[in-house]
Amino acid sequence: MTSINLLTSSTPLTPPMPGLVEAVAAERLLRDGPNELRPPRGTPECVKFGRQLAGGLQCLMWVAAAICLIAYGVQEGEGDRGSSDNLYLAIALIAVVVVTGCFGYYQEFKSTNIIASFKNLVPQQATVIREGDKLQINANELVVGDLVEIKGGDRVPADIRIISAQGCKVDNSSLTGESEPQTRSPECTHDSPLETRNIAFFSTMCLEGTAMGLVINTGDRTIIGRIASLASGVENEKTPIAIEIEHFVDIIAGLAIFFGATFFVVAMVIGYPFLRAMVFFMAIVVAYVPEGLLATVTVCLSLTAKRLARKNCVVKNLEAVETLGSTSVICSDKTGTLTQNRMTVAHLWFDNQIHTADTTEDQSGQSFDQSSETWTMLSRVITLCNRAQFKPGQDNVPVPKREVIGDASETALLKFAEVTVGSVAEARGRFPKVAELPFNSTNKFQLSVHEAGERQLLVLKGAPERVLERCSTVLLKGQELALDAQWREAFEGAYAELGGRGERVLGFCACWLPAGTVAAGTDPEELPEVAVGLCFAGLVSMIDPPRATVPQAVLKCRTAGIRVIMVTGDHPITAKAIAAAVGIISEGSETPEEVAARLRVPLERVDPRQARARVVTGAELAAMTPGTLEGLLRAHPEMVFARTSPQQKLVIVESCQRLGAIVAVTGDGVNDSPALKKADIGVAMGIAGSDAAKNAADMILLDDNFASIVTGVEQGRLIFDNLKKSIAYTLTKNIPELTPYLIYITASVPLPLGCITILFIELCTDIFPSVSLAYERAESDIMHLKPRNPRRDRLVNEPLAAYSYFQIGAIQSFAGFTDYFVAMAQEGWWPLLCLGLRPRWEDTHEQELQDSYGQEWTFEQRHYQQYTCYTVFFISIEMCQIADVLIRKTRRLSLFQQGLFRNRILVIAIVFQVSIGCFLCYCPGMPNVFNFMPIRWARTPGSPPPDPFPMPGSPPDPLVDTPVPFPDAWVPPDPFPDTWVPFPDTWVPS
Amino acid sequence: MARGKAKDGDGNWKKFIWNSEKKELLGRTGGSWFKILLFYVIFYGCLAGIFIGTIQVMLLTVSEFEPKYQDRVAPPGLTQIPQVQKTEITFTASDPKSFEPYVKNLEKFLKDYSADQQTENIVFQDCGDIPTDYKERGPYNDAQGQKKVCKFKREWLENCSGINDPTFGYKDGKPCIIVKLNRIIGFKPKALVNESLPPEVMAKYNPYLIPVHCAAKKEDDADKIGTVEYYGMGGYPGFALQYYPYYGKLLQPRYLQPLVAVQFTNLTYDMEVRVECRAYGENIQYSDKDRFQGRFDIKFDIKSS
Repeated sequence: MTSINLLTSSTPLTPPMPGLVEAVAAERLLRDGPNELRPPRGTPECVKFGRQLAGGLQCLMWVAAAICLIAYGVQEGEGDRGSSDNLYLAIALIAVVVVTGCFGYYQEFKSTNIIASFKNLVPQQATVIREGDKLQINANELVVGDLVEIKGGDRVPADIRIISAQGCKVDNSSLTGESEPQTRSPECTHDSPLETRNIAFFSTMCLEGTAMGLVINTGDRTIIGRIASLASGVENEKTPIAIEIEHFVDIIAGLAIFFGATFFVVAMVIGYPFLRAMVFFMAIVVAYVPEGLLATVTVCLSLTAKRLARKNCVVKNLEAVETLGSTSVICSDKTGTLTQNRMTVAHLWFDNQIHTADTTEDQSGQSFDQSSETWTMLSRVITLCNRAQFKPGQDNVPVPKREVIGDASETALLKFAEVTVGSVAEARGRFPKVAELPFNSTNKFQLSVHEAGERQLLVLKGAPERVLERCSTVLLKGQELALDAQWREAFEGAYAELGGRGERVLGFCACWLPAGTVAAGTDPEELPEVAVGLCFAGLVSMIDPPRATVPQAVLKCRTAGIRVIMVTGDHPITAKAIAAAVGIISEGSETPEEVAARLRVPLERVDPRQARARVVTGAELAAMTPGTLEGLLRAHPEMVFARTSPQQKLVIVESCQRLGAIVAVTGDGVNDSPALKKADIGVAMGIAGSDAAKNAADMILLDDNFASIVTGVEQGRLIFDNLKKSIAYTLTKNIPELTPYLIYITASVPLPLGCITILFIELCTDIFPSVSLAYERAESDIMHLKPRNPRRDRLVNEPLAAYSYFQIGAIQSFAGFTDYFVAMAQEGWWPLLCLGLRPRWEDTHEQELQDSYGQEWTFEQRHYQQYTCYTVFFISIEMCQIADVLIRKTRRLSLFQQGLFRNRILVIAIVFQVSIGCFLCYCPGMPNVFNFMPIRWARTPGSPPPDPFPMPGSPPDPLVDTPVPFPDAWVPPDPFPDTWVPFPDTWVPS
Repeated sequence: MARGKAKDGDGNWKKFIWNSEKKELLGRTGGSWFKILLFYVIFYGCLAGIFIGTIQVMLLTVSEFEPKYQDRVAPPGLTQIPQVQKTEITFTASDPKSFEPYVKNLEKFLKDYSADQQTENIVFQDCGDIPTDYKERGPYNDAQGQKKVCKFKREWLENCSGINDPTFGYKDGKPCIIVKLNRIIGFKPKALVNESLPPEVMAKYNPYLIPVHCAAKKEDDADKIGTVEYYGMGGYPGFALQYYPYYGKLLQPRYLQPLVAVQFTNLTYDMEVRVECRAYGENIQYSDKDRFQGRFDIKFDIKSS
């Protein structure tokens, strides 16, 4: 900042008037580069894609795939038949990672496109004086030392030190958050470049007036540029969901290695060779990897992202969806987010009474009593003493939305008049203007004289104290009364009252003059002499009012246990007033200052605990240690930070995060981008937001509405709940997929469940139900719960894992094994015979293996019998999983409270799952392709047994192509109807 | 959250394993561990109980004497003795060691077919020496006690019976193999009717016989096989129907399945000769996938020295 300070206080670099010589300009352009913000170095697309492949789960799957390939290599080296299963598994794992990666990348790509579409592609023009000529050049060709001209409606093309100005006002809201226009003039008023009046900043708007200035900084060296680069220096925090998934991967990996090691030892003890035991170990570890989970999580998140997009929240990063749900603190910007970002008449004081105007966006609120004659006069003054006018051709546009030429206050008054009294243009036509003195900072008022039939009407508005000085009477119900001390007191009271609400107050007065008092063409400078002894009509106060939906949304946040902190660059009083209006400072809460005033004790002696609310200004903040700030954040639940700088916003966010909160930050200006980036979730505004803010944010509100954030929170919480359900559902089947292998190793039974079958369960049939759980409605009102505690309420915690694995998973395994043994026994292999059968069963040269009845089986016959077992096991798992999805539907409510069929998608998913299962079982050719065998339908007892040996020439069998002679008859009975489970999810054995 | 977690890493782990303040092992107190283990013992106990119960009930529904379903085991496989790895018989005629395993295997298998094993008349029944129709022995249960079994005379296998030549022709380079149809309870192989018989087995036709025929797997090898001799019941080169149906190992523990011995008397030496043997019957099928269903193929490699 030192360079700016030097420039602000020293003499101009070059003689001002002729401007730079072209050659010098070209040289400087070469030296400093073009005057534009270097876009933050975008992550290369391949890195973005790479990131999609390197999440926690993805890494787990890469490792698993590698293990599979190693195991495949080992088995291939041993010349083991059937080792290609491992190859398939590795391919499937890699395919899942890549496909979900593409999916996630596509999602990100799509939302990036939405964001990119906001960008304004028209190059900005600047008026520059070079070699004495006025030129229009592209703003990016400006160099330091250029002399530029700006006028109302222009965007300031660089950081400029003003050397001459005529009523120049700029809108710094995107930089500092101040919604009021700031006057720019050549005087240096402050040491800080942000506060001083003689600097206009790059990318801010010049609202009115004209100015000429010297370019002092261009491109990335401008204030905006520095803030933007500050943002890229902030590291991105890991999203809570990423942390949760890492935690979950830890659990999975731990359990997998534990199981693998246990059974490795068991296998060694049983007497398997080392390599074989190693292959077992790897297979177990891989079997623990929930292949389908990654797809489920990705799809669930993107479903919610889509749902949010419909509600005007565009999510840039899928994981951010859930982050919003775990948010415990929202640091909100004021201007534009909580407020409408337009000045509006809020209150009027006349007839010694404060009247409230309608400040809603669509003018749907209550209006005040307009019957008083004072109002007639006041409204006339408001209408006439106003230079603003509507842009033509907007007759069909609702008044609040019409575009106006004029500054913010006048616009507010104009719209107010148009709405309350009727056509302003018509009124102005009835009272043609004779002379006028525009507002200036010395007079602090504005006056005009109008013809009114035989009289002339002088109307004046301005700073209330200046207006009052010129008044001798006051209107009360249309009666002119003398302005006595009592009235002055009343006036002071009203002024203080309105000012205390953070509103900008203007006084209005008028007086009738005899015709011809002021002739047309009178020098405006003479007018103030006429304007004495006026009649005071009233005060009008204006504010940038809160959006209508915000108070409700803040209340919702409160009930949801989310703390809303306002962080703004605006004045403390305004900030506090808006905070109180939207409920960030609740009714009855006091700041320490208020407590001090009430108890009449010095501020230092106020117990901070007595004051729920606290307004901290940037200056106070600068003097604080981080520890003090944390103390304050702890002590006062309702905090407002005013007059803060971008860096301070960052400090506030960091302090909240140190307190363990998950922080959402909203912002639109460039100044917000570091904080947006630092936050766990940065929310940028789609309409008002700058590109820098949108780049830094994780989420974008298309309608700029704070209330949309609350919707986001709700969806985020819902998805956390539903993800928990989905994951529990997905994890459960891991056990029945693993136990067959464990039993296969330890008890040497023929393999009950094959690898390809497992892949079908994981990646085909069970995907739909687990995704459909994402459509589950919220149980009870999730917005009445506290935000989850990131330390305690994990996505996957030990009780959930234990419940899924050791209870439901165990039940499913038992079900599967029952069906397996039934299927074996009914074909002639009694359970006890199966134990230890594996070596002979898998001997490819054994073509006459005897079963329990003395029948002799060839190897292929046994093979198909094994496939039958796979299929039977598959069906048992599917059946159990249908029951499982029903028990997972709810975590707190009963299934019937939640409604069995209300989640249609889930019902469809179950039907779909069953259909796929049937297809896999009964589609011809499946046995040799995917190792599925047709299974008999359940046969009622007593029906005639099918002829066991069909003759060629009997009616053609639909499945004649399969080597299976008769594909009819039973489904294994499910011995464990586990639709009802005695233990609720939350139940933990203690 | 990870931010806080990083700071207190190691201490936490130790504390997690044994927290002396709260006397917690792995995050639980002894009492808690006891309760949770008790819970799981009971839980798994119940599950195991249900499991065993269900299996028992299932076994009750399954007959001891005949399997509930046979769709995976039928149609039957055709197998050969000696049982060999990689379906390959390779030996040197002059080196008894090289064919010893085959001979032993044959001898062991044929032991049950020796005349002295078939003396008990309670068990065995003389079914004649010409093929006749199926011998039904009533329902598949033990209401009438064990079922009788047809005798099969080892002598019928002649040169391959091992009675005259204990090396089953191997020492002369004329190896015998014994062909049998896999046992399947209740399975009644149906003989093909005369017209539908393939030409190669036309000569062996008998209405009560499932003929067996061995030929070169590849057409090119046809001349390398040489003469093939078949020995079976009463000289018929096939399986006689009176040995069917099989009643299972409970009812016919000493069942003798009919055999056909096949002797290759003039195999070409010092080259791999692939031979495929098939059994022919109306309900005997062949499958591309299962190369032992109704047929098998075997490779001979007889080395001259």
